[in-house]
Amino acid sequence: MQPRFGQEVQLDKIAEKLQIDPADLRLRIAESSNAITANFFRLSTVNLSECIRRVVKSSGWREKFRKLPEGRGVGLACSAYLTGAGLPIYWNKMPHSGVQLKFDRGGGVTLFCGATEIGQGSDDVLASIVAEILGLDTFDIRLYTGDTDLGPVDLGSYSSRVTIMAGNAALQAAERAKSLLAEAVAERLAIPPERLRFADKRVFDSAAPENGVIFQEAVCLAEARFGTIATVGSYTPPKSPALYKGGGVGPSPTYSYTAAVVEVVVNPVTGWITVPKVWIAHDIGRALNPTLVRGQVEGSVYMGLGEALMEEQEFRRLPKKLSHALVHKFPSILEYKSPTSLDMPDVFTELVEEPDPKGPFGAKEVGQGPLLPIMPAVANAVYDAVGVRIDEVPITPEKIMKALAEKKAGRAPRFGPAHFPHVDWPEALRVPPPWEGGDGNAINDVPRRAKPASQPGPQRTPEKDQVLSS
Amino acid sequence: MMRLPLFVFRAPRTLEEAARILHGEGPDAMPLAGGTDLLPNMKRRQQVPRTLLSLRAVEELHHVHSSDSGARLGACLTLSDIASDPRFRNGATALAQAASQVATPQIRNMATLGGNLCLDTRCNYYDQSYEWRKAVNFCMKKDGVTCWVAPSSPKCVAVSSTDTAPALMALGARVRLVSHSGEREISLAELYNNDGMRYLHRKPEEILADVVLDPLHDWRSTYWKLRRRGSFDFPVLSVAAAARFASGGTIEGARIVIGSAASRPLVAGEAAKFLVGRALTSETIAEAAALAARIAKPLDNTDFDMSWRKKVTAEFVTYALRELRGDDVTSERAAITRVPSA
Repeated sequence: MQPRFGQEVQLDKIAEKLQIDPADLRLRIAESSNAITANFFRLSTVNLSECIRRVVKSSGWREKFRKLPEGRGVGLACSAYLTGAGLPIYWNKMPHSGVQLKFDRGGGVTLFCGATEIGQGSDDVLASIVAEILGLDTFDIRLYTGDTDLGPVDLGSYSSRVTIMAGNAALQAAERAKSLLAEAVAERLAIPPERLRFADKRVFDSAAPENGVIFQEAVCLAEARFGTIATVGSYTPPKSPALYKGGGVGPSPTYSYTAAVVEVVVNPVTGWITVPKVWIAHDIGRALNPTLVRGQVEGSVYMGLGEALMEEQEFRRLPKKLSHALVHKFPSILEYKSPTSLDMPDVFTELVEEPDPKGPFGAKEVGQGPLLPIMPAVANAVYDAVGVRIDEVPITPEKIMKALAEKKAGRAPRFGPAHFPHVDWPEALRVPPPWEGGDGNAINDVPRRAKPASQPGPQRTPEKDQVLSS
Repeated sequence: MMRLPLFVFRAPRTLEEAARILHGEGPDAMPLAGGTDLLPNMKRRQQVPRTLLSLRAVEELHHVHSSDSGARLGACLTLSDIASDPRFRNGATALAQAASQVATPQIRNMATLGGNLCLDTRCNYYDQSYEWRKAVNFCMKKDGVTCWVAPSSPKCVAVSSTDTAPALMALGARVRLVSHSGEREISLAELYNNDGMRYLHRKPEEILADVVLDPLHDWRSTYWKLRRRGSFDFPVLSVAAAARFASGGTIEGARIVIGSAASRPLVAGEAAKFLVGRALTSETIAEAAALAARIAKPLDNTDFDMSWRKKVTAEFVTYALRELRGDDVTSERAAITRVPSA
């Protein structure tokens, strides 16, 4: 989140220096699908350019950017975000997520999974995936989630990983059950299993849909044929081609992309800032439940605006005679403010859908990515409105007034840290990018995956060759 | 979970009985009128009355009496009552605007006029849980000796955070205080004291019974409130202004009150005096705004930067005076309350 703020504000500054529209600059440098990035992250579907084009169109960017009256401005920013961390939060070789399905003779399906529903809708996603495969309704699926006594491990609701990881595990478990049921029903109907369809709570012959059984009967046939029916599924992310030290941070099966335009009004006398409207487009792969996806996108906008304009941990130093300690200035959540629903601007949300081969039914993440462009877009919009850079959050009226005073005095029209803090960095690792023939290792460090001593020089495993050539 | 301390609950039905109980219980008793602020404060042990004297059942405190000679507002009118009552339009607009901007609809349905006028002063180092305050060895206002905002200050600098008081002071309101031994009527301005701990000149045995307003039909008034969120926050600066205009547009009488910039609402007397006999030209407004802003002395104990709050005071006075002049300030007001103005 913090690097993204710096990056997107920096891009805005670069675009201005090059006299290129910041939307066009981003369209020029946006990655395309299936690329391997300079730091060896393997991308899957990438629809960032489409997201940019959508918000440029919906917001009227071409008519607004650098053209609105003084005090009013628009800012654009983008984000890319991982769909589940490629490495487990604690080190082991086991799957990141597991699902068990139990089928009872009444046709009931029960799902067990450690995935934690925290209001984001993960239970609905798991039920939807299983229901879709088995031709059922989500109401037919009973879920026991977030209980480590009952369900297999899911690593948790973080890193935007539950839909892709628990979802793929659920998909695998449901597909396995489906083939058991199909085999038993095919035998009863005396047709090849490939001709069967699971829909409308029935399993039937696609060539003669009236010829079939209800789902409950399909379960009973399968239980008669195979014994008690229960299946499992699990998911482990693919290995990353990034082998250098630090390359474990950021790999993911696939990434989501977002573009946002924020419009602001800044009062030049008080520095008071308001946000009348936000336009946002999110590359979701496929929305399994569009209502939930929009809820997540708009929830991100609200949190992003809170971060951009309000949330801060402020400290003050006590006088020398009172310990001289740094203490919280606003020590409680009461003063750690974020917008309420009443303080929200209009949000125009668009979903860009191209099913991603890595996600269950093509779904990518939406839990965190849409938050990232909001803070830099606000900062860029403030610059468009009154010509000052606020290079830190929250962007408050007093900072805008200070920057306006600097501008008036003919100094750099900005507010923010004056310099980067001094750090004694070790020697930087040099990782040649793929187009310079790099193999994912740093050339000035020990190779991260051990190679047999008998074979000197860079070594490529078949797996890595496949990754690099895909 | 924070729980209420033990207390004795009394619910008299008449003002006389209420005054008798308050007299008998002494300073450890507090009137309860809505409780939206007092009860949370009790949970955090900021205020620990032994007896709560509920005024809700005192019928006469719930009425508005208005006539040609003015209005009398019972202390137990809820802020919702006031915000929605068409009698508080025109001259008394400032009061309705102030009442409607307190907290949230749910709180305004409980909170009362008398309660808001007597609202405890607020401070970052005071409005905290007991454990947090204990961790910093408490503060001067409650259980401690040091003022953490201004460690060399001999007095508490907690902030007057009532919305209705600046508005009513600008309207020249008086209040009737009733006690066991009698009653007195004082101007609302006299009720307040610029000390975060002893912020009211109300004796412990006195009950604020009602607010008295002179006829206001030839006045115009307005209330402006600064806060982080338009939906739900205490004021960190407010400006109430009222003026009476002669037929030619010159001002015959004016009052400007700055709220949340000290431990009491501040009367901008010089600015008001300057306005009398003048028309509200842009120059007059700028001069009056500068005079009014001079008295605001915000300290570092609320949301927002204190020097910024000081800097924008003149601009808020300008908004108020321009509105009294008849300017359309809809977009300024929408921006301040963060209501999107498309």
